Amino acid sequence: MPIDAATSALNLSFPPTAAATGFVIPQSRSFTVSVNPVVLFSILDHYLRRQENQHRVIGTLLGVRSEDGSEVEVRNCFPVPHDETQNQVAVDMEYHGSMFELHKKVNAKEVIVGWYATGANLNQWNALIQDFYSKEVLPPFQAIHLTMDTDLKNEEKLLGVKTYVSAPIGTSAKPENCLFLPVPCDIKYFDAERSGLDLLASAKDQPDRSTTLISDMDNLEKTILAVQEMLDRISDYVNKVLNGTIPENNNIGRFLMDTISVVPKIEKLEFEKMFNRFINGGLPC
Amino acid sequence: MATNGTSTTITKESPSNVNVTNVTAALDIEGNVPLESVQLDGLVILKIIKHCREFFPNTVTGQLLGLDVNGVLEVTNCFPFPGPTKYQVDMMRCLREVNVDHNTVGWYQSTYLGSFVTHKLIETQYNYQQTFNNKNVSRSTHGNLSLRAFRFTQAFMDAQRENKFTSESLLKNKLTFSNIFEELPITIKNSHLITALLHSLDDFENVIPQGGISTLDKETVTGPLTPNFDTLELSLDPYIEKNLEFLLEAIDEHGQEQSNFAFWQRSVTREQTKLQTALQKRKQENVHRLAAGQELLPEEEITKLFKLPPEPSRLDSLLITAQINNYCKQLNQYSGPTLGKLFMSGELQKP
Repeated sequence: MPIDAATSALNLSFPPTAAATGFVIPQSRSFTVSVNPVVLFSILDHYLRRQENQHRVIGTLLGVRSEDGSEVEVRNCFPVPHDETQNQVAVDMEYHGSMFELHKKVNAKEVIVGWYATGANLNQWNALIQDFYSKEVLPPFQAIHLTMDTDLKNEEKLLGVKTYVSAPIGTSAKPENCLFLPVPCDIKYFDAERSGLDLLASAKDQPDRSTTLISDMDNLEKTILAVQEMLDRISDYVNKVLNGTIPENNNIGRFLMDTISVVPKIEKLEFEKMFNRFINGGLPC
Repeated sequence: MATNGTSTTITKESPSNVNVTNVTAALDIEGNVPLESVQLDGLVILKIIKHCREFFPNTVTGQLLGLDVNGVLEVTNCFPFPGPTKYQVDMMRCLREVNVDHNTVGWYQSTYLGSFVTHKLIETQYNYQQTFNNKNVSRSTHGNLSLRAFRFTQAFMDAQRENKFTSESLLKNKLTFSNIFEELPITIKNSHLITALLHSLDDFENVIPQGGISTLDKETVTGPLTPNFDTLELSLDPYIEKNLEFLLEAIDEHGQEQSNFAFWQRSVTREQTKLQTALQKRKQENVHRLAAGQELLPEEEITKLFKLPPEPSRLDSLLITAQINNYCKQLNQYSGPTLGKLFMSGELQKP
């Protein structure tokens, strides 16, 4: 479970298909969930904009599945208003429906894969809502429940992201009873998104939490500085090993060998030719 | 209606309480303080990128939601436009229910190599800017993200309102290709929770990076925030090639516009000479008639007889020039880092 500290909870494999209850669970083999950062951003934004008396927010997760259902990528999400008290919970299903229709118009590939809630605790309402979403998800797949610890009450002060699937519990299946089984989840994003994320991440150590866009030139400078720092670090390490101050590590040595061996060796003349060609291509501008 | 830029509390209190005064202040001030910069939420950037990526290489458009507070336009959310306007209305209604800022503050459009100065854009932007104030153009290239915010200058708005782009009106409004748009500086701001999330993302060393190929649709997906060295990529040709190709196309179009204009000028001169000769003739005739004691023929009649062809709209050539300017700027900006990279690899090859 990536963005969370190591958990002691067992990651159980799926229970055998409970055919008797009519609950079909596909593929009891490995099952992984990956989350796109935009989902986490949306959830946090939703949480910030919650109603005054609300303690947590929920919403629908959209995403795509691999054919056998063993891999789920959560790509998008939208908030769903809900109301919960000590005694009852009400989810605005109409809202959920119309919002899903709207999302479908933009990206038809993304289907409902589950739901999210903020707060790390699971309670009986989670089971009820899970029951609702289980019906929304196309069978034979299962609804995924994703929680995000927005209270930051855990020891590591991380925004623990956990994903679960549910299994019916008891001899007769009741919607309010279910067993949440943790499933491993990680963060995945596309190449195009990385530049955006890099940019956002550059604001994280700023006291005012803001940043500006930088030009290509500045960006190159930053990257070169980063490479330089890495080179310094590694040459420092190599020197230390040579001096005998620290013991050598075969793995690091192997990585270094691999890296050095991929540096292309080009004949001097050949290189000069190529170099001049590129210069000519770059200069007229 | 929380603008997280101004919210100082994070979790425990309701943000709606804290910001009520800000919101009303913003609404009062709107229109009085001119916009000076645009502030984007991290969420907006990711959503725009997601939308653009899914439809690449087609261009996409969407709406930006937010508030303008004291001259800073805070864009806090956005959604894509799949087409019909009904979608827009429904989406706005839905978003309002979950306390998202439902003020339309502008729109975004994805572009390929910055070729965005088109007729369609002008129309859309004009419609928006009559009521709102902003526009965003985003362009995503490898390694570095490019997001830019534009709005029309007052001069262009005046000209567009009159819907007249003759040389005269361009001169009157002091409009040239470089002042169709004014660019607004963009800052990016994360909420406290997002900052916490980014730190969390950075923190997990207990996980082996799960990089590799997504099995779902064959696009590369990378693991957590590992260092990014895409900027060092040395494949220069495609970008420059494409850019030059577009540039040449634009220059061709510009040439066409020029010859159109020249044609108009020629026909104007031709008509004018005809008019002059006719006038001359009439005058001579009148002299004769005067001598013969006959009644004079009116001269105005002739001026009415000849119609000068109307001047073609200069908007096209204006836009093309702006576009050429854009391509040149891009090439210029690109070649700097490129040369840097080249010399770097040159150093690397030295024995």
